[in-house]
Amino acid sequence: MFNKVKEFFQRDITPYLILSIPLIFLLIFLIWPVGTTILRAFAERGQDFSITNITFSNFENFVDSNLYRRSFYNSFLISFSVVFLTLLIGVPMGYFVARVEMPFKTLIRTLGVLPLIMPSFVGAFSWIILLGRNGALRIIVNRFLAIFGLALPPIYGMFGIIFSMTMLYYPFVFLLTYGAFSSTNPLLEESAMLMGAKQSKIFKTITFPLVLPSIGAAVILVFIRAIGNFGIPSVVGGQEYVLPTLIYFRVNGFWDLNGAAAIAIISVIITSAALLLQKYVISVREYETITADRSEQKLHKHPVIKVIAMGYCSIVLFVSLLPQITLFIMSFFEQWNGILPTGFTFSNYNAILTSLDSIKNSLIIVLSASVLAAIIGSLVAYITERKNPKGSAIIDLLVMAPFILPGIVVAVALLNAFSYPSPLIISGTFYIMIISFVIRRTPYVYRSVAASLTQLDVKLEESSMICGASWACTFRKVSFPLILPGIISGTILTLATLLKELSTSILLYSANTKTLPIQIYYEVSDGNFGTASALSVLLFVVVFIIVYLMNYFLGNKVSSSFKLG
Amino acid sequence: MLFLPGSSKKLPGTKIIELSGKGGINVSSNLRYKDVKKTFVAKGKNVEALKSISFDIKPGELFCLLGPSGCGKTTLLRCTAGLEIPTSGSIFYGDKDIAKIPPFKRNIGMVFQSFALYPHMSVFENVAYGLRIRKVPEPEIKEKVEKIMDLVGMAKILKRNPSPTALSGGQQQRVAIARALVYDPEILLLDEPLASLDAKIRRRLRAEIRRIQKATDITTIYVTHDQEEAMAIGDRLAIMNSGNVEQIGSSEEVYNRPNNKFVANFIGKMNFFPAEILEDNLSDLNKKQEIKVKFNKNDKIINIKPKEVKNKGKNVTLAIRPEKLMINDKETSDSIFSARVRIVQHLGQLVRYEVIAEWDKDSKDPVPIIIDMINPVVKLREGDQAYINLTPNSIIIFPGREEK
Repeated sequence: MFNKVKEFFQRDITPYLILSIPLIFLLIFLIWPVGTTILRAFAERGQDFSITNITFSNFENFVDSNLYRRSFYNSFLISFSVVFLTLLIGVPMGYFVARVEMPFKTLIRTLGVLPLIMPSFVGAFSWIILLGRNGALRIIVNRFLAIFGLALPPIYGMFGIIFSMTMLYYPFVFLLTYGAFSSTNPLLEESAMLMGAKQSKIFKTITFPLVLPSIGAAVILVFIRAIGNFGIPSVVGGQEYVLPTLIYFRVNGFWDLNGAAAIAIISVIITSAALLLQKYVISVREYETITADRSEQKLHKHPVIKVIAMGYCSIVLFVSLLPQITLFIMSFFEQWNGILPTGFTFSNYNAILTSLDSIKNSLIIVLSASVLAAIIGSLVAYITERKNPKGSAIIDLLVMAPFILPGIVVAVALLNAFSYPSPLIISGTFYIMIISFVIRRTPYVYRSVAASLTQLDVKLEESSMICGASWACTFRKVSFPLILPGIISGTILTLATLLKELSTSILLYSANTKTLPIQIYYEVSDGNFGTASALSVLLFVVVFIIVYLMNYFLGNKVSSSFKLG
Repeated sequence: MLFLPGSSKKLPGTKIIELSGKGGINVSSNLRYKDVKKTFVAKGKNVEALKSISFDIKPGELFCLLGPSGCGKTTLLRCTAGLEIPTSGSIFYGDKDIAKIPPFKRNIGMVFQSFALYPHMSVFENVAYGLRIRKVPEPEIKEKVEKIMDLVGMAKILKRNPSPTALSGGQQQRVAIARALVYDPEILLLDEPLASLDAKIRRRLRAEIRRIQKATDITTIYVTHDQEEAMAIGDRLAIMNSGNVEQIGSSEEVYNRPNNKFVANFIGKMNFFPAEILEDNLSDLNKKQEIKVKFNKNDKIINIKPKEVKNKGKNVTLAIRPEKLMINDKETSDSIFSARVRIVQHLGQLVRYEVIAEWDKDSKDPVPIIIDMINPVVKLREGDQAYINLTPNSIIIFPGREEK
């Protein structure tokens, strides 16, 4: 007995004390809310869950109500169409930029990321300016289509949602396939060529199977975002509802958290099923690189291919950047009905002065959330990678779970757990905003730090321990300085994506905690397109500067920053 | 071919260098393993990495742990370092059981195969790390680092003080050794320290390591899978196989008097022939000058003067080193069997013949016999018929038959 106690104190218990902090945080602010939400989906509206009173009435809506059925169908249709269309646009572009000799490759990749830098609903709203009833682009395109007796469908509705999402999310496919096409070992293709395979055969039997895992990863990234996106359908959806807007409607219109919980569960089940399907399809095709030996990538040099590739990339980039261009122009005009905008003015930018409160709120919430996410994400990554306790797989799953939870679902879970009659009421405060952001973005830091930890040889830490350094000292002097770049890039990425966050905050904000994206959202709703554009330009510039500076200091490419986000 | 360092006596011309100011008196103690067991759980199954290991290492000794990969040598080293805790058993340093003491309280030095130099620190800071942890005053740190870098032959590099990533593999390894030695550890552990270097540097550095070890006189455990390296460097070596220690002894002992067939085949090459002892009295054969045996493969009867007999009955295996066999292009009266030459390799100081014996000529899976000749038989080419003789002494007799 005495020996056991002595042994215990001979061991270094500081790591256990420090590492338990993030786990407690996850327990209170992730497991409990999600657990409560799941239970409350089985309770009558406005009531608490009780074992004796389990009801499925919240789910029966999916059978009985037309609105529910329609939303379910729309969500499905949108997600699959968007995945399909982004593949159609992104894969050829990734191939062209990786394998065809052409100028401005870095520029193309940087421009390709820009659509991701704005809140998604801002993109949708600029498409309304361009393709709305009197939109400039609609007038031009329809004149051309009229030759064939055709016309563009109205922007409000399924066309607008699918189109906006496709132009927003194709960069994921483009960047991931670009990475795969440019990093496959050319020796593999060369050896196939020496064995007598033709170009097309090589592509089919060697190149394509090797990039398939990356395409699979892109598919799931796009799918998760498409099905969880709130901003686009709420701006251009018109009469068409999808699951996230339906949840918003349940909460904002009826304060029916139990009903919202049921919809949330359905939506998460669909996402998980897609994720499992993707894992199943891809897992049989994961390859490890057998050798580190490689040669230079051979690029297509045929002039026809070069012209096609460059033309294709320019058209895609031009169309996907139209929203940014439109916003910039719109921010200097009062109106844009017809081909040209009218009423040149600088007064839209006065909105910045009247929105100082929401700008300040955004900064407070986003900065504190980023710092917290950095600490928690790094510590959890350290636990799973280095301490590797029993159940580290569960911790990994837990911390990554918010990655597949749509933002609005996280909001519903937090509302369920932390509004009246909960023992801990924080709804409507800064805390719930910060916590929701932390929960949603911890996976970014976690992934980033875990990646730099796997690259860091454990022996570096072991040799420090052998030199006589305790755990805390080793962490401070060896591990921390070496994973710092991983922490910084994860944190900055968190910061940049949180600045444009809408889908969680739209349900959680109160008059005192309104953020800049929410402000823009209401300017759009009120039809103040000029002010909304000016504020969007501000947001865009700030986020771009942050991402650019990070990449400048860390020596990364802008395009590689958004692999996750 | 073999450089046998013999005992752990100081090499001539070296003197103990005072690193610790202890006046060069060797104060370290015995390192003793007692019933050390280590079980890992891998994929739901228990894997016994160490099956009750017990032996002693003497103070100041350079001790090699040798074995194929997965034999448990690295696990034993990591238990000594404190990076793994044995499932049961004790590791005594002097009379203190250190098995459960965390690594940073042990005062040991360790050099890793990957060197594990900190890329975010300069060479000086890398070496000074252990001293800084021990809160040694700055002037003393400088003095000690300079002294140890001089010992490992890196004084010039230290003047430039570059980042360790700018050094060559051999230089990195010297820095790693300096870092492990600078704070006067009581035990130095080397985990395959030369495995990631190329062959030439490896041979030069292993002599260097032995020189440094003898100069500092720190008890050292050296893990390797390369038998030539182990025999060249170690005062004594332990040959390990699947969690057990098969034999402990000097290089000379394990080479000339292997305990069993595994050691015999792992330390250098060994040919095995099933045979039958044709003596009436099967016990105490070690006392006999000559033993009559029958080769089972071709029923040839010969008299041999074995070095060691470990028989348990009349069925035995004869173990003969390649250099104790001779190859001939003509049959002589004492030829034992005929064979066909498969491969001839010129290895510099000797020529190695790989032959297929007459009894294996139609076999699908023949066991090649290896013969090393200092003077090549010029006439013999690959595919030729040859005749094999043997030197009747230096044969080892193991119990049981090596059936294949």
